[in-house]
Amino acid sequence: MSDLNDKMLEAHAEDDRDALIGLYAQAADEAVDIDAKCFFLTHAYVFALEAADPRVPYLRKQLVSHGREPAD
Amino acid sequence: MDRSDLSRVRRPLEAANGLPNAHYIDPAVFNEERQAVLFDNWAGLGVGDDVPEIGDAVPLTFLGMPLLMVRDRAGKVRVFQNICRHRGMILVDTPRKIEGVIRCPYHSWCYSTEGKLVSTPHVGGPGQNTHEGIDRALLGLIEVRSHIWMDVVWINVSGTALPFEEVNEDLIARWGEFDKPLHHGGADSRFQLAVNCNWKLAVENYCESYHLPWIHPGLNSYSRLEDHYHIENAGHFSGQGTLVYRQLKGEDGKSFPDFEDLSERWDTSAEYITAYPNVLLGVHRDHTFAIILVPEAHDRTIEHVHLYYSDPKTDSELRARNTEQWKEVFEEDIFVVEGMQRGRHAVGFDGGRFSPAMDGPTHMFHHWVASQLDRHRAPLAAE
Repeated sequence: MSDLNDKMLEAHAEDDRDALIGLYAQAADEAVDIDAKCFFLTHAYVFALEAADPRVPYLRKQLVSHGREPAD
Repeated sequence: MDRSDLSRVRRPLEAANGLPNAHYIDPAVFNEERQAVLFDNWAGLGVGDDVPEIGDAVPLTFLGMPLLMVRDRAGKVRVFQNICRHRGMILVDTPRKIEGVIRCPYHSWCYSTEGKLVSTPHVGGPGQNTHEGIDRALLGLIEVRSHIWMDVVWINVSGTALPFEEVNEDLIARWGEFDKPLHHGGADSRFQLAVNCNWKLAVENYCESYHLPWIHPGLNSYSRLEDHYHIENAGHFSGQGTLVYRQLKGEDGKSFPDFEDLSERWDTSAEYITAYPNVLLGVHRDHTFAIILVPEAHDRTIEHVHLYYSDPKTDSELRARNTEQWKEVFEEDIFVVEGMQRGRHAVGFDGGRFSPAMDGPTHMFHHWVASQLDRHRAPLAAE
């Protein structure tokens, strides 16, 4: 996780939105706690929303399935 | 604040005085007019060409108020308060393209370009993006009522004015022949002039032709005072027209293409009108312009000038010459409006008088401003 954390910090420093979406999604995949997973998913989702990234539906679907975003 | 007596301003033209000094030099009166004259009516904010493409967003400050002009996903120009509904943070601080949503840089609440609140990250705790106390449907961006005409983005901040088309019915009808696509000339057809005067002085000078032979002697060779006429529509607009407009021609003798289907009267006529309160418009057979007066303080105004043509592709050299020609004319007016501003510090000046023959359009504007202030003050006086 520390390697991932370093990459996240680097992506934030460089304002690399594409990388941030991927890295937060990866962190969500690796998280075992559901709240931590949704925390990371939320960040990936927000950056994806901002960039109109094609990963929005996939990320949103996961948040909805965990009851963290409204379904409609 | 002592309320100025406006009864002398509302007298008939022959006997009227101009607005008192305080209306030009007193910040308290400036704030009063901000509400009564500019927020309560349809004021010009910018032009549609400021946000030419979908997703374009431009932050603007209008009379101290942070606004955001956006072209939404459907291509509609919208004006929002440029603040997040969460903690009032400024959302967009430099012009940019919104690819997806507008994300607040503070806690990342996200809004669509239509103003809908679409994401509230962690609002119910970490990873919890909803909360029963936060109804997204009620927390969209605060939209300011807006309308586009002649590519000018007009806003009614108070939301209380009659519909734009109703307020400006006569002007829209008068210039109905120009109700067709206007093509902004692009970067070479927009410029700004910063002037050290109250915004109203720019209107007052623009409304009348009386000053033309003295301030714009270059016009005398072909446009004499007697070739001009007054345009007066009480309560809505005033200005002046010319009967001897001559087209600019390039070295090859070519001019800009005309707007289609204009009647003969526009062969040599051109008109210059102030749509109250703060938009100066001009129409000619081959181009139009709009000047948005953005007041920055009681004694400082930015004039945003935009030129439009009948065709999206016009000769760039001729366009640059046209821009330069107008810029020269507008710059010739600067010492006048700044001189009148300094003159308003003369203690005891009564607002001046108007030429009964030549200053009707200017007095009409004064009268309208006074009527707006009286309307604004009436309920206050009753309290």
